[in-house]
Amino acid sequence: MNAEDESFVDFKNSFNDGPRRDLNFKFLKGLPADEAAAFLQDLLWKLGDTLDDGDASRLIAHVKEWQARNYSGAVPRWSYEEGPFTPLPKPVSESRLALLSSSGHFVDGQDLRPFGVENMSQEEAAERIVSFLRTPPELSEIPLDTPMEKLRVRHPGYDIRGSQADPNVSFPLYHLVSLVQEGVISELVDPAYSFVGAAAQTPLLREQGPEWVRRIQEKGADGALLVPV
Amino acid sequence: MGHVARLLEAAGTPTVIIASAVFRPRLVAMKLPRLVLTPFPMGRPVGAPGDMDGQRRTLRAALELLASARAGEALVELEHPYRPGM
Repeated sequence: MNAEDESFVDFKNSFNDGPRRDLNFKFLKGLPADEAAAFLQDLLWKLGDTLDDGDASRLIAHVKEWQARNYSGAVPRWSYEEGPFTPLPKPVSESRLALLSSSGHFVDGQDLRPFGVENMSQEEAAERIVSFLRTPPELSEIPLDTPMEKLRVRHPGYDIRGSQADPNVSFPLYHLVSLVQEGVISELVDPAYSFVGAAAQTPLLREQGPEWVRRIQEKGADGALLVPV
Repeated sequence: MGHVARLLEAAGTPTVIIASAVFRPRLVAMKLPRLVLTPFPMGRPVGAPGDMDGQRRTLRAALELLASARAGEALVELEHPYRPGM
């Protein structure tokens, strides 16, 4: 398509699943054209303010506000009347905790090779988002002594650049190891776990979830820290 | 992840979730046992890259909630800035 022929709707949608794919702004596809235009106009206006005073916090707030709008309108797919609750049986300083994130981290050389693909790139993962959402998740085991430079991350549903630059933003293993050394936490379950959260939810609920619970409990976890992305 | 929390909790393992407040409606609807909502963009639920102090503040809040909650749907909303000074 000629750029001259591209409609605004095509343009805004292309940030989700087109040539301009940018997972920070994939919500543009879900917005009516007038709201998407308002988002972009305000973003540029705030950028102008930032040129003058250097304060980028308004840009971050603007992006967060519109990301949140994307999830505020629709009726949640999973809704419950009540939920289970178990108290922590002893202080954190005496507890053995597990870490589980849906960040998509894995150890270099231990890629689970989704769909049998070797060395799948982040871009290819994003292109296959629909396939990921139809496929049950798999758990990557990440030993506690994994050097940070050995961690890899790939995920079809969010912008991984922050998680690449610093895994702690979504997989806070290295802080937790420090908190053990400081005595704040007694122990961590070894390994820590990560999976790609953009996955089929019904199999996760009925099959993988119960299996993961068994694995975590077999490791003697007193509690678990969970980080969805 | 909400389902994993519910499954763990039902099986007797207490949990705490750290998540971006961007996802508030879908998380609250799941009646989760303990939830720490951070005012951070998608993909950075614990804090900004390199902001060690801010990330640790988030984790400390989660550990405190893990220990202190006496009933389900315990919710803490953090307000510290995404980056220092912002």
